Amino acid sequence: MKKENQIPEVDIVVDHEAGVIREVKPEKLRSKKGHERRVNTSIYVLLTVMSIIWLAPFVFLVLQSFRCESGGQVNYLLPKQWGLDNYVFLFTESNFPRWFMNTLTIGLVVAVVQTVIQLSVSYTLSRMRFRGRKLFMKAVLVLGMFPGFLTMICLYFLLKQLGMTQAGAIPGLILIYVASSGMGYHISKGFFDTIPKSLDESARIDGATRFQVFLKIIMPLAKPIVIYTILMAFMAPWGDYVFASYVAFGKASSYNVAVGLYQWVNTNDFQGYFTRFCAGGVIVAIPITALLLALQKYYVEGVTGGTVKG
Amino acid sequence: MACVKLEHVKKIYDGGVVAVQDFNLEIKDKEFVVFVGPSGCGKSTTLRMIAGLEDISEGTLTIGERVVNDVEPKDRDIAMVFQNYALYPHITVYENMAFPLRIRKMKNDEIHRRVCQAAEILGITEYLGRKPKNLSGGQRQRVAIGRAIVREPQVFLMDEPLSNLDAKLRNQMRAEIILLRKRLDTTFIYVTHDQTEAMTLGDRIVIMKDGFIQQVGTPEEVFDTPHNLFVAGFIGAPQMNIFEAKLDKRTDGYHVLLQDMDLKLDEDKCKLLENNGVKSMDKVLLGVRPEHMTACSESETNCVKGTIMVNEMMGSELHLHVATGMPKNTILRLPTVDLTSAERAALVAGNKLSFTFASKVVQLFDPESEQSLLYK
Repeated sequence: MKKENQIPEVDIVVDHEAGVIREVKPEKLRSKKGHERRVNTSIYVLLTVMSIIWLAPFVFLVLQSFRCESGGQVNYLLPKQWGLDNYVFLFTESNFPRWFMNTLTIGLVVAVVQTVIQLSVSYTLSRMRFRGRKLFMKAVLVLGMFPGFLTMICLYFLLKQLGMTQAGAIPGLILIYVASSGMGYHISKGFFDTIPKSLDESARIDGATRFQVFLKIIMPLAKPIVIYTILMAFMAPWGDYVFASYVAFGKASSYNVAVGLYQWVNTNDFQGYFTRFCAGGVIVAIPITALLLALQKYYVEGVTGGTVKG
Repeated sequence: MACVKLEHVKKIYDGGVVAVQDFNLEIKDKEFVVFVGPSGCGKSTTLRMIAGLEDISEGTLTIGERVVNDVEPKDRDIAMVFQNYALYPHITVYENMAFPLRIRKMKNDEIHRRVCQAAEILGITEYLGRKPKNLSGGQRQRVAIGRAIVREPQVFLMDEPLSNLDAKLRNQMRAEIILLRKRLDTTFIYVTHDQTEAMTLGDRIVIMKDGFIQQVGTPEEVFDTPHNLFVAGFIGAPQMNIFEAKLDKRTDGYHVLLQDMDLKLDEDKCKLLENNGVKSMDKVLLGVRPEHMTACSESETNCVKGTIMVNEMMGSELHLHVATGMPKNTILRLPTVDLTSAERAALVAGNKLSFTFASKVVQLFDPESEQSLLYK
């Protein structure tokens, strides 16, 4: 424990009636500190247990990915034979690079398009007042309560007619992911609402168009939320299985990583592919983890200081 | 440089709330006009309509020769200073001031020249490299003004620019705005709720209440001849004292009767009342400013008697709140320099005090309509 947290042995109390300074053993203070420490300890214990539970599957996955001996589920944790065989297989003998590129393409395109749409919708709803604005927001709220899977069958037939399934699955999937971009406006609108309106007004009087205001004033101030939006937009298609599996159904070259890897453990030789599946899982986790680590500082970066009075 | 003309301008919000009613005003070229009034009177809304930040529901707005009702704010050639400064927090002071010029694609050396010149006028040259959050309130307001003046706009709009500053800084900035105005020599429209700012800055003052213009005039006019009770009360601090008195029309002219006091009105006032067709009234509202009251000795008969309730020493003057048996205490403002120490000692709470006032300082209002009876 740090020094400043240590409980003092005595406390000094001024006795006004007697006009003297007395040393008093701070029994009460001591028991309060002790209580605090007990609470903290139990919280840390709980958190430790939770993080072990949370990390266990990932540790298991990583360990399995380095296992060279074959076999599906085994009853030991540490591999008997370590090696990179599984990774080598991924990049030399399998469709994995193709799937990875598919997923990356979808993810990047969706991240860009969805961010642009979502931020524009948010800014519009935050700043402009027009007929039907409230109705729109309510409608989106209600629509958002329905799970996206409900549209699955309908979407499949629509995409099929457009030639955007199986071989054309990648543009089809992009379309699906991007279609509802505007509906996720809530968080960024909330952020834009905190940027004083007088900044917009001032810029407009200074000669900027609405678009210039958005680009030159609001965007730099909204950096954390822009990054948040990009991350979210990228992550959703990156880890999607449901839509990707049926839009690309049966066409291995159109799979994304989730679908492709699942096919390995589902239809092929489970025993032979399980460790490769694990290696694929690790590779998939790397970019997203790196991205999060690199960008997380923007979450907390406050940029609106000094905007207005204070 | 341009004049601004508002004709029958009206602002009705979506909910049907009328913020500004039939606003008519012509602001001359290079004039400094102040909109003043209590909060919610529509002064800021009017300014924002001139700026183009609010739509005009009815009427026409002309800047220079051009009707600008549907012109975007950026094309109106105006600059505005906001109450909360509205500085762009992510760029430096220099870039803040250069922003309007960069948007207009001005050449870099011209931008540099103008920004430096403005910074020099406002004394903020040394802060040009800083971000707004590292400036004090007064410095931020200077930057905001600087950003407005680099544009060399036709019309300057200022929306309560000093409200966020402390009293001392506010006085200092007020004086600076007067100097700036002389230097820039352009049209200014200034919104404030502070009547002192209005009186000291404005060539003309527009006093507003509930969306209506109450009076337009020079500071002297609105102070000396308020058109109605609201203006009389709003301009001047402490507020004008209002008494319920009796107006008596006699053969020798009009008399105002207040308690034991019988004040014969001077000829000018009698003429005005005569012209306005005023007859004897049992109830008239009599207004006298605190500084126009004089204390008198108790032996005098033609005066109002009361008891001092509160004694406020303001330094150069003494504010006395006197209970006279009328609903509101009367406030007297006596310059301390005229008082002997014995007199001052007597002017304490609990003592009796008689006071009087001269005919020429009196304002008379109709109790029903609250309009001035002395209005030409």
